Amino acid sequence: MLSLLIFLPLLATALILALPTSYRNSYKYIALVFTGIQFVLAGYAYMQFDASFTGINQEAQYQFVEHLPWIRLDLGTIGKLEIDYFVGIDGVSLPLLVLSAFVMLMAIGSSWNITKSLKGYYALLMVLNMAVMGIFCALDFFLFYLFYEVMLLPLYFLIGIWGGERREYAALKFFIYTLLGSVFMLLIIVGLYFSVTNPVTGAHTFNMLLMMDPANYASDGFFSQFAGHEVWGIPTRMIGFIVLFFAFAIKIPIVPLHTWLPDAHVEAPTPVSIILAGILLKVGGYGIIRTCYSIFPDAGLAAGWWLALIGVISILYGALNALAQRDLKRMIAYSSVSHMGFVLLGISSMTAEGVAGGVFQMISHGFLSAALFFLVGVIYDRVHDRDIYHYRGLAQLMPKYTGYVAITFFASLGLPGFSAFIGEAFVIIGTFNAESVGTGIPRWMAIMGSIGILLSAAYLLWTLQRMFFGETRLYGGEAWSAKLVDLTAREQLILFPSLALALILGICPFLVFDNLNASVINLVAMVRQYI
Amino acid sequence: MLAATPHNTLLYAVIATVCLPLLAFIYQAVKGRSAQTGIPSITAIIGSLLLASYIAVQVWNQPPIHFQYSWFTLGENTFYIGILLNNLTALMLVLVPLIAVPVHIYSTAYMQGDAGIHRYWMYLSLFCFAMLGLLVVDNLLLMYIFWELVGFASYLLIGFWYTRESAVQANKKAFLINRIGDLGFLIGIAIIFSEFGTLDLHALFSENGLLSQMDNLSSTWLTAAGIAFFIGAMAKSAQFPLHVWLPDAMEGPTAVSSLIHAATMVAAGVFLLARIFPLFNEHALLVISIVGTLTACTAACFALAQYDIKKILAYSTISQLGYMMVGVGIGAYDTAIFHLLTHAFFKCLLFLAAGAVIHEMQHLKQHVQGDFDPQDLRNMGGLKRWMPKTAILMGLASLALAGFPLTSGFLSKDALIISTFEWASERGLVYQLIPALLILVSILTAFYSARLIFKAFFGEPRLPYFHGVEKHPVHEPGASMLWPMVFLGICCLFPLFSLNPFSSSHSWILSGLAVPHSFAAIHALHLLIPSMLVTGTVLSITLAWKWYAQDKYPLNAQSALMLAAEKQFYINEFNQRIWVNGILGIAKGAYWLDRHIVDGLVQLFAGCVQYISKVSSWVDTHIVDGLVNGLAALTYWLGNIFRQAQNGKIQSYFLAAFFTLFMGLLYLIFS
Repeated sequence: MLSLLIFLPLLATALILALPTSYRNSYKYIALVFTGIQFVLAGYAYMQFDASFTGINQEAQYQFVEHLPWIRLDLGTIGKLEIDYFVGIDGVSLPLLVLSAFVMLMAIGSSWNITKSLKGYYALLMVLNMAVMGIFCALDFFLFYLFYEVMLLPLYFLIGIWGGERREYAALKFFIYTLLGSVFMLLIIVGLYFSVTNPVTGAHTFNMLLMMDPANYASDGFFSQFAGHEVWGIPTRMIGFIVLFFAFAIKIPIVPLHTWLPDAHVEAPTPVSIILAGILLKVGGYGIIRTCYSIFPDAGLAAGWWLALIGVISILYGALNALAQRDLKRMIAYSSVSHMGFVLLGISSMTAEGVAGGVFQMISHGFLSAALFFLVGVIYDRVHDRDIYHYRGLAQLMPKYTGYVAITFFASLGLPGFSAFIGEAFVIIGTFNAESVGTGIPRWMAIMGSIGILLSAAYLLWTLQRMFFGETRLYGGEAWSAKLVDLTAREQLILFPSLALALILGICPFLVFDNLNASVINLVAMVRQYI
Repeated sequence: MLAATPHNTLLYAVIATVCLPLLAFIYQAVKGRSAQTGIPSITAIIGSLLLASYIAVQVWNQPPIHFQYSWFTLGENTFYIGILLNNLTALMLVLVPLIAVPVHIYSTAYMQGDAGIHRYWMYLSLFCFAMLGLLVVDNLLLMYIFWELVGFASYLLIGFWYTRESAVQANKKAFLINRIGDLGFLIGIAIIFSEFGTLDLHALFSENGLLSQMDNLSSTWLTAAGIAFFIGAMAKSAQFPLHVWLPDAMEGPTAVSSLIHAATMVAAGVFLLARIFPLFNEHALLVISIVGTLTACTAACFALAQYDIKKILAYSTISQLGYMMVGVGIGAYDTAIFHLLTHAFFKCLLFLAAGAVIHEMQHLKQHVQGDFDPQDLRNMGGLKRWMPKTAILMGLASLALAGFPLTSGFLSKDALIISTFEWASERGLVYQLIPALLILVSILTAFYSARLIFKAFFGEPRLPYFHGVEKHPVHEPGASMLWPMVFLGICCLFPLFSLNPFSSSHSWILSGLAVPHSFAAIHALHLLIPSMLVTGTVLSITLAWKWYAQDKYPLNAQSALMLAAEKQFYINEFNQRIWVNGILGIAKGAYWLDRHIVDGLVQLFAGCVQYISKVSSWVDTHIVDGLVNGLAALTYWLGNIFRQAQNGKIQSYFLAAFFTLFMGLLYLIFS
């Protein structure tokens, strides 16, 4: 079932590539239908999911597991190579999987007006689709890495070919930045591989779940908890944690590793921005939960204070930068940095409330940021300008658009009733609670984080006031007012479900929390045993 | 969790009370521009009023009724959705729709013909939903949710005329200042959650709840939690220095100002503090009293110097909210709630009457094509000739505000000030400052209320239009505006609150709330204080009559002190300069840092890598490849040299052979 979910898009790619260019108008329908099927499959997985499974570190606690031997090599004295095709989902990956399918649908919907080399565009989009689905399902580190790298390639071309003026620069920056992280990640993967043996076969393994059990490490293995290896006076397990964290931190992104994000967002076409913000940033948060904290819980606990600090800095720094922007899209990009800081803060608190709040914030930010980027795309499509000061009083010209923007802005700034509120409030509450349970996050960090909520209200409301209220006055004059027509039915069809979802999750957070809770409790217990 | 049947009915009644306005909101939102009459909203709020009355009758003086359903579970903790009904809730639950119904009816006339009236009804219903929800919920998380929703509805309504620059500035300001308070509320929630593991009001604050079992009430974090919640209340209830949003909020329609920014929402802070009262320890309560007193004093001073009729009322609201805070701070939150209730009626009436005046001035302005501010007192005067009923109603409400006998304000204000005296007399001389200041503020209140009435309705008209034009359009408001005002006017009188017009101690509200006071009652004060207050009030009204009605104004209106008071001692300018510009400066600095340092480092790194690659490229072409090429060149050169040997001439071969032989012989001879 998961394999079908992952590899369906490949079929679409093949179909798109096989069809001659004279059928180019059918590509988008192919992409839409295949992604639609994926969404249904993801929805099916959601309905069938048993919330009592605790996931995280035991194969039996995962669901929809497919575990097949993939590459087996006898390397003589070095041992046996064991790479599995191993996929499965737990409470953490399930909501992200559903989110990915949803955001992909939004992205395809917003690609409707793209005219430049459609074949390549949709083929790459589908490859990207496969890769992100794979990442959220893979439980073998080699497989995970494979999907992680495959994800980069289509993105590079999607930004580099279909992007804005400085697209090549942005694409290159994005690619090299991410590659830098993943190269280091590979080192750790190899190190782990040589430290861990499968107790059943006796072979070295890439199985992530086996890496989470300290008993599977060779007693003098490089990453063994008991060997106490050090490099330059730093425990090897701490190094492993930091390097893995570095790779995913670039994705989240944290300050100061975030500078690829504003450039990539500003240059990327709207659908790619949607995917970047809606799905790719979540790979970072997911990776930190799935690999960093699960494989190196002891090091994670020790580094928690610094991670939380980075989270707080990201929140405040991102928000302040967003406040200083003139470019609407750049502002939203910085707001992503700020909102994803909450994810890191919540995870590092290692309280059930904080971690669940962090995952919830990822889901919520997933479709809210997608909606935000879509909304920027709406006016950019019409007049090709994103300068906040070039618009004024849009409310009179585009009342529906203003309504959607206002709702999305308020949802993003954490108005109760919308999903972002639940995420942010529980991150703050969880972080505050961390001192009581002893995970070492001081309370002032929660208070500093909450200032980010105030700042996000400031930059969003200020933008709303500057662009939408007051008397209508446009930089482009009459020509612009003719072009700035209100939302079309297609645009509303894309926006409405995402905002409806934000509202539904805000009122019924149990839709996510119920499935998530068992896994989060398991993770938190696993980490807290090292207190 | 469900109890016997009557409880079930009660539960459905509460849900219906809260959700009827929500349904109206959804209806208006879906119908959009085509639903202009406001009938759904009015029907909904009347329905809420009827149901709320039923609930209040069922709940009054009964043990608290608590419904609870699990919402979601996080970790080991389950969060609930629930309803907690007690006397306090019952009172507020009736009050809100009781004020809202006249305001709704008044709005049908007041907002008639506005292009955005469908939005008006939508927002108004949203507000009613949020406000009613805030009153009944049983835990702090849900309270926070509705707390922010009322703020959101208020944001929408302040910015109702969104093409006005001042309105959209004002609503942004209101939301942001309220956000500061919300952060306090959120931090408070976090403290409570990490200390008690629950947010349930009943479990925490009931008679044998978690807080009553605590031994040490003076711990730092308890003070911190109290102050955090108080910051939330400060923003919502416009306490100094977070009051700055309320005068600006007068940009909204006047009917909205009367409902939200005078009678109900701004009082939510007082309600919150009363609801979680056991949380506050001695230190937190003292802070509340001091801030309340400070607010009452400053706002009264600001009110003295205002010319905008709505601004005077706004500052008066702030000042009265300060009174209520003092009531909470001294531990007599029953008197605070009592004052909240009486204040809701007379302040709502004041605003509605002011709205009627503004409405007529607006008509006049359109009629004569004049250019003047219809809200400015300096443009009014002598209006009682054309609007006698409005004048009488507004005068009545002002008397209630001033605390004149036979009005409701007399009862509640006296109860509050007497309690403050009793509280202070057990503590020492410094504490006496608080009741003394409150008395002073009460006299000032009488003065500025009288000033408003005399300037607007008495004396001679100050605008030329009243004299020359025979048929100018200023007249009494229509029935749908007048009758709501008459209703509120009746509610400003004493019988609604206490059968004895001179003694608050017989009031059914105070006995219903039954708050045990920490201080002993001093009976002598019950005669002394009211007589002091009444004397002060009469004197100040007489003075105002001389100054304003008879136009014998002795002071310089342009003096620096007056201007400073009109400008709230320049607190807005201060905020703009220090906070707004400061944060924007930091933001610009952060962006500069981001561009030039953080991204600069990345660029530098990229540049370094490029430079290194250039160097290595040079090394590669000139040294590594140079070696290879040099080797090739050497081979070529050597080859060329040796090629000379292969020239095909037998003589040179012989020469070479002989030369080699000769050298060999030489070697043999000499070795």
